[in-house]
Amino acid sequence: MHGQLRARQRFEGRMLVFHVGSLLLLTLLFLRLVDLQWLRHEDLALQADQNRINIVPVLPTRGEITDIQGRALAINQIKYRVQMIPERVTDMTGTLAILAKQLYWNAHKITIIRKRIARSRSDRPVHLDDQLTWQQAAPLAARLHHFPGVDVLAGTHRYYPYGELTSHLIGYLSLATPEDVRNGFLPTELVGRTGVERAFESLLHGKPGYQQEEVDARGRRVAVLKRSAPETGRALRLSLDVDVQRAAARALGKRTGAVAVMDVHTGEIITLLSQPGFDPNRFITGLETEQWQQWLDDPRKPLLNRAIQAAYPPASTFKLLTGLAGLRAASPLARGYTDCPGYLELADRRLRCWNRKGHQHINLHRALVESCDVYFYALGDQVGMQRLSAEAALWGLGSPTGIGLTPEAKGIIPGQQPRLMAGQRRQNWFRGETMITAIGQGAVTVTPLQLARLAAAIANGGLLLRPKLTAGQAPEVIRQIEVDPGHLKKIRQAMRDVIAEPKGTAHAQLAWLPWKVAGKTGTAQVIAMAQDDEKPAAPAYDRHKDHAWFMGYAPFDDPRVAFAIFVEHGGHGGHAAAPVAAAIIRTLAAKHARRAEVVSR
Amino acid sequence: MNTWRAMDRVLLLCLFSLAVLGTITLYAALHQGDINLWQRQNIFWVVGLAVFFGLCFIPLRVTGLASWPFYLVTLLALALVPLLGEVQMGARRWLDLGLFNLQPSELMKWALMLILAHWFASREPTSVPHLAVAAVLTVIPAALIVIQPDLGTALVLLLAATAMFIASGIPWRWLFFAALGALISLPVLWHNMHGYQKKRVLSFLDPQSDPLGAGYHVIQSSIAIGSGGIFGKGFLHGTQSRLHFLPEQHTDFIFSVLAEEGGLLAALLLLFLYGVLISRILIIAGRAHTRFGSLICTGIASIFILYITVNIGMVTGLMPVVGVPLPFVSYGGSALVTMLAALGLVMRTAIESKGKIPWQRPGSPLA
Repeated sequence: MHGQLRARQRFEGRMLVFHVGSLLLLTLLFLRLVDLQWLRHEDLALQADQNRINIVPVLPTRGEITDIQGRALAINQIKYRVQMIPERVTDMTGTLAILAKQLYWNAHKITIIRKRIARSRSDRPVHLDDQLTWQQAAPLAARLHHFPGVDVLAGTHRYYPYGELTSHLIGYLSLATPEDVRNGFLPTELVGRTGVERAFESLLHGKPGYQQEEVDARGRRVAVLKRSAPETGRALRLSLDVDVQRAAARALGKRTGAVAVMDVHTGEIITLLSQPGFDPNRFITGLETEQWQQWLDDPRKPLLNRAIQAAYPPASTFKLLTGLAGLRAASPLARGYTDCPGYLELADRRLRCWNRKGHQHINLHRALVESCDVYFYALGDQVGMQRLSAEAALWGLGSPTGIGLTPEAKGIIPGQQPRLMAGQRRQNWFRGETMITAIGQGAVTVTPLQLARLAAAIANGGLLLRPKLTAGQAPEVIRQIEVDPGHLKKIRQAMRDVIAEPKGTAHAQLAWLPWKVAGKTGTAQVIAMAQDDEKPAAPAYDRHKDHAWFMGYAPFDDPRVAFAIFVEHGGHGGHAAAPVAAAIIRTLAAKHARRAEVVSR
Repeated sequence: MNTWRAMDRVLLLCLFSLAVLGTITLYAALHQGDINLWQRQNIFWVVGLAVFFGLCFIPLRVTGLASWPFYLVTLLALALVPLLGEVQMGARRWLDLGLFNLQPSELMKWALMLILAHWFASREPTSVPHLAVAAVLTVIPAALIVIQPDLGTALVLLLAATAMFIASGIPWRWLFFAALGALISLPVLWHNMHGYQKKRVLSFLDPQSDPLGAGYHVIQSSIAIGSGGIFGKGFLHGTQSRLHFLPEQHTDFIFSVLAEEGGLLAALLLLFLYGVLISRILIIAGRAHTRFGSLICTGIASIFILYITVNIGMVTGLMPVVGVPLPFVSYGGSALVTMLAALGLVMRTAIESKGKIPWQRPGSPLA
């Protein structure tokens, strides 16, 4: 009895332990809940939102680019793209393997994509593939739930209807680089890399919008919570005329070269062509590195915009400036005559005229028309390098035109940079070098656009204009060149007679056009064929052939357009380059006549 | 005496409140998932309540007699698991009984509790042979569960057994030596743990060390609970649960659904109901007119408080992840039915003790 009583007492004690114990445990849990739900509520609520809310950028539609007549040069098409948020992918290797199979990626592309994923932030979408048609994307889109973190999105895709024809001018886009991302672009955005796409990037690009999405644990979108619409980029109308551009390209054919055509009064660019071009439509993915490498390795350098990025010896076209400098300096020869026996002797050397028979008794006018070298050797010698380079600089050579496309070459005027002369590091100047420069050979180099602007300035009375890419903008005069109108008239008349006179160097090609053309040919020697050689050897290779130039303006009486044509290794300026000008003038004249007809009706 | 009228009103009210809260919470957890499971669970409620009321009519004497065969059959089933069991998550725990899968280790807690209550009901816990038998009865199933391996359940089983030993009146110092022995054997245990078990313990110690692996569950449930705040996000508006960030949200992690959508208030309500339930069971234990009744009630209360602490502790990141259901809320038919059966035994104890004097109460007329 006593033992049982003790057992009962002990039991009562133990019951107290149980009561207190369970109360303590429940209190412990309660305190933990207070900690989580009260004290740490804000922090954890934020984490819950970060879990479920995904802020997704909505890419803007890029502004479209048209030519002067409204023809589309760069437009947006609906295509599908695939992107991935790496941190939401559960099985990266498996997912990539399936995507590769479904989208027909080759091993090379998979490597690139892996690299791209590796260097991206894991919480941001990574661009995997684009330019997919619905047929290509649909099978994947239907099975997206098997691939958490992967998304198929409809989006606009940049398309260039004229492809190669406008490739250098319009340029291309590519995915934002890490540097672009630092500058505020999104990794999935396409950014203009060259040409107009780059020059007018800020205008064309537009502003991305944002979408707040609710996603589930597997990263799939459940609902759109908030949305701010993207801002479409501005449309751009260029002053370019595709018809003229095409005419120039056809006339150039398969040859390497460049054409610049601009309005003599406004500086608007009507044509800016460089051949060979490339197909900008293959650039958008940014994945076609094989093609890219091929373009880079091509000796014809299809990615180089020869109209603005490359400078070549202007050859005889430079004689216009030598003539102007002579007139300005009132050098006796500029008003007088010299004899051209076909060469000029300077110390122990002989500087040859292109015409071995010589031009005999010759003045400035005839020397320009027939492009006599000896006359300009002598004139250059009289004028001197200082005045020669000052004249060239005055007319806009040796400095970028400021067209806005980058990079732009500025060319070389030797007098400005004696050290660059002939690639040698020396300070002193030789007489012979001045004479060579006077005919546009040697170290002097210009871009085709610079020559076209020079032609425009001659035509419009000395207004040096900034070339403009967009239509309908006020012309921008860099400077009014101080030049005697009489001098200018002489030069113009000589340029006219290059075509009009039967002995003119471009007579055969341009004399019978609807518009009277004024111009100047140029034939630039590529390899240093010694001027004192008895007979120039026939070039052994195409790449040793001369560069052909033709620059000028039209119509002669009422100038409208100025142009410069450059044919790399094309041979003689009159034969190789002038016909391109003929094609351009024909197209322009025909369009002009038609427009006049419409207006008169 | 009328059995129905002798029922304990507080216990009954508490049970029904829990049934309502549990069913609502389970609906919230499943409404975007497999709603069929919710309907199944409602059927289990019906079955379980039938068992509950059925047991109210079975005398405790009979239950005491049945405890031996119940224990032995469960032990046999437990022994069969390694041979016939279904493999889930690297461990054999389940027996396929055709109609449903049986987890003998789950049942063993109750069987052991019953057998220990029966054993100590008429024996002195201060006698070494008696204690030795009780220890053997405990260690055999515990060892069988450890080799499955299911460390969490084994631990819960041992804790439940410990509660029975405490309730039976075993001297504290013996318990102290036993605990010391267990502590010394911990390194051996760690050495023999499976990789995933070690990972669980480690991720409990530092959940951020493996945020996408073993720690993920605890981090996500903590976020769910904490983001619920005081008033919650509203019924069916929990983002963590709705968007499937919560793992196992209808079974072991269901508490986070309740806490996210109902906030601290709902969580507190649940804790309050649990508190009332447990203290009521303990009060019934104190009033029981047989020692056996007292011991089973104490054991049942212990198992409930263990479940509640381990489950909520795990979900809130206080304890390692151990697969223990949240009583009356988690999805799971067998767990619900056994818990309702256990409450049936408690209710039967209350019914039998009504109007009677507790066993050997000091100062009572029988003393």
